[in-house]
Amino acid sequence: MPENSKGTAVVSALVFLDERGRSSVRFSVQLGNFSMLFPTIDFAVFFLVVFTVSWLLRPHKIAWRWFILAASFVFYGWWDWNYLMLLFLSIGMNWFFGWAVFRALTPEGERTNASRWVVRIAVIANLGILGYFKYVDFFLSTITERMRSIGISVDTPLLNIILPIGISFFTFQAISYVIDIGRGEWRKPLNFLDFGVYLSFFAHLVAGPIVRASEFAPQLEEQPDPRYVRSGEAFMLIFRGMFKKVVVSSFLATQIVDPVFANPDGYGSLAVLLAIYAYAIQIYSDFSGYTDIAIGIALLLGIRFPQNFDSPYIALSLQDFWNRWHMTLSRWLRDYLYIPLGGNRGSKAMMYRNLFLVMIIGGLWHGANWTFVAWGAIHGGYLVAERIVRAKWKGHELGLPPLLVKSMQWFLVFNVVCLAWVFFRAQSIDGAFTLLGRLFASGGSSAGVSLLLVVVIVASVASQFVPPRVPQKAEVWFATWAPALQIAALAAGLVLIDALGPEGIAPFIYFQF
Amino acid sequence: MSQQQKPSSRGPRVNWRKLFEPLRPRKEGTMSAGMILVVILVALCLAGLLNADATLRKSNAKGDSWRNGIARTVASVTDTFQINFFRNAIDDAIGKNQSSEIDVEELLRQQAEAESAAAAAEANKVPELVAPTPAEPMKIWVGGDSITQTFGTSFQRITQSTGIFTPTLDFRVSTGLARPDYFNWPEHLVKNVLPANPAILVIMFGANDGQNMLDANNKVLERFSEPWLAEYRRRVSATMDLLKSPTNDRITIWCGPPPMGPGTKTKGMDELSYIYWTEAQSRPWIQYFDTWPFFTDSDFQFVANLPNADGVVRGVRQRDNVHLSTVGGDRLTWAVIDRIGKLVDISAGKVTPPPGQGPPASVVERTEIPPEMPGAE
Repeated sequence: MPENSKGTAVVSALVFLDERGRSSVRFSVQLGNFSMLFPTIDFAVFFLVVFTVSWLLRPHKIAWRWFILAASFVFYGWWDWNYLMLLFLSIGMNWFFGWAVFRALTPEGERTNASRWVVRIAVIANLGILGYFKYVDFFLSTITERMRSIGISVDTPLLNIILPIGISFFTFQAISYVIDIGRGEWRKPLNFLDFGVYLSFFAHLVAGPIVRASEFAPQLEEQPDPRYVRSGEAFMLIFRGMFKKVVVSSFLATQIVDPVFANPDGYGSLAVLLAIYAYAIQIYSDFSGYTDIAIGIALLLGIRFPQNFDSPYIALSLQDFWNRWHMTLSRWLRDYLYIPLGGNRGSKAMMYRNLFLVMIIGGLWHGANWTFVAWGAIHGGYLVAERIVRAKWKGHELGLPPLLVKSMQWFLVFNVVCLAWVFFRAQSIDGAFTLLGRLFASGGSSAGVSLLLVVVIVASVASQFVPPRVPQKAEVWFATWAPALQIAALAAGLVLIDALGPEGIAPFIYFQF
Repeated sequence: MSQQQKPSSRGPRVNWRKLFEPLRPRKEGTMSAGMILVVILVALCLAGLLNADATLRKSNAKGDSWRNGIARTVASVTDTFQINFFRNAIDDAIGKNQSSEIDVEELLRQQAEAESAAAAAEANKVPELVAPTPAEPMKIWVGGDSITQTFGTSFQRITQSTGIFTPTLDFRVSTGLARPDYFNWPEHLVKNVLPANPAILVIMFGANDGQNMLDANNKVLERFSEPWLAEYRRRVSATMDLLKSPTNDRITIWCGPPPMGPGTKTKGMDELSYIYWTEAQSRPWIQYFDTWPFFTDSDFQFVANLPNADGVVRGVRQRDNVHLSTVGGDRLTWAVIDRIGKLVDISAGKVTPPPGQGPPASVVERTEIPPEMPGAE
């Protein structure tokens, strides 16, 4: 697949997307043409310039901020300059809301009716914009289908709205900023320039992590020492991310996931089972790979992002899984949805309802399709069941060896997560059940099944059990290498990744959310 | 002031030895920003040199000439000094295809032995196929680029349901005839597809082919320029020749690409269709299938929603305006089955389309394909 070539790249990118897209709005992001993906020469050149100028300007706080803002706009505008207006709108609107909420608080920072209303308006405005881009076409097509099903023929035009890249991520950041001010947790609104840099900073702009103003803004005030940049950690994160994205994710997608999910009827149970496991690894490699690169890039510029993944497939409970998977979204949902809904307060029934609702809404955040609702429902339902069982069995010992119990817990959680991924990946609910049905059907092809595939899946899962201190030691060790050796290793690593990966870079799965 | 204490008139001196000495950072895991810049810059340049051939392969497919110029210069330098050995060794080790040219002559030679004089005598006849029955179903292969994914899935499902076909789906995303270095279709067809002896092949290319190509002399041909069209025609004709059966018992239904909708940046499908159609005219074993009318209005302009035989309007394209929806895939499948029915007796199977799936009877292929379609993307 040629990288970023006009015309072809659009097809190539959409090839990747269409496998799940069909009539859903969730894959309408047109990524292929000019989006500046991290693992490309375009981005390497862009980053070299940004890195150099950024450190030269770092002592000049205002100039540095303007430069980063401009660089971020170039990064975003590389995809489509027209959508920069949306980013400008989000920055201007939410900066104003933040200021207005702050002005409406009491001098002691207590909430008032006015501040509450401004927060509500801000949330509605943000969700309104998000909803327009993300859900209008789905809504219209659903209405049309329902009307037709009862014999009323309506001609509802589909608006073919393009989902702007990264809109879900920067909208959630903006909402968190306004709400935090409204709660009195963030006592001083950012000035316009700082807020612009916070919301549009290119490293987290298109697919997170969802960084809070309270994490980002203080770093704008600090002046990191250019003599001590955390290069070991940054290089390792970037290379780990690129390997996961370019090699592992692409291999699994082309080898088994895409063909099997496109035509489950043609495959036998072994191929389907491996495709399900492979997709679990693929989506982890893709998303965490992007996050690793984003965190590494920010680190090279002296900015620390929060961790977004922490070996999620070693979780022994689904609650544990959500403490490890897309951690910045999990805590966003917890702080701005679960707690306002009532959280753990009130009766157990209310708590379970809140938990279930949050997961359903979390599912819908990914896109307008019943498959995402099903994915959220599986997670929500299992989380509720987990709490009920835990409460019921508290203090009861099964008498089994702890290792066996842990193994069984891991096996159960991992497979429930994989089951939910089937709905996440499938084109429709029917498609998901068709695929699951093939697990128990006889016959079908085993094309794509190979020893290498099994090794990649098993090794990817096993790598999550490696204690964090091992890569940490490697990072520190790498930073002591002679620069010439580092150069040789990085160059060889880049060539190897390029050789092992496909001809082009497929867009990251999470760009579309 | 001694001689050693005098500041250099040439400015601060760089201590290159530092590059080769292990670092002892005062803070664990850190390095200075300046040294990081050196490391990144040199590592990228080195990687660029080591990877020059692969970068050139990708660059050749792009339309941006200045990028291509740089890539060619770098590749030329690395070729001179054999710096590309590292990447090429990796490619060899993992069996990655480095060929940028279809070795059609070699492939044709492989077939030449099988071509008998009798087959030559039959060459001007449309192959006569044995009518399939549920007891003896016909092997049918469907493949091509990513558009064939949805279409092929529909085709596989529907042909299987007829009870008289044994279908095989073989789509390869992002492929075509323009980039044999990425996926070599002629080679794949000869080595992997034809040995399974399908009686009918249904094939579709084009959507990924609107990109620059290299000719036999490694010259970049700008897409849709006259030399490009000539080279593409050569590849099409060579591929069609490869599909000829020595015993004249195989038909290939070569589907032209459907029109692309607005905003897709995928242009020239009308020009490619014209090439396929004209080349098929002189090859009876190739039956060109005109998909265009099945995805356009009566003026042959792109339409995303169309009525099927039951009169209900449905979306026949995906939102990208490139690929077919499942409805579109079903619609095209029934049209192709109808065409197969004109080539071989398929009455033993369930080949009547449900009204909600097949196109209206009024939609038919064009009798002549124009070199260009006004208004086409």
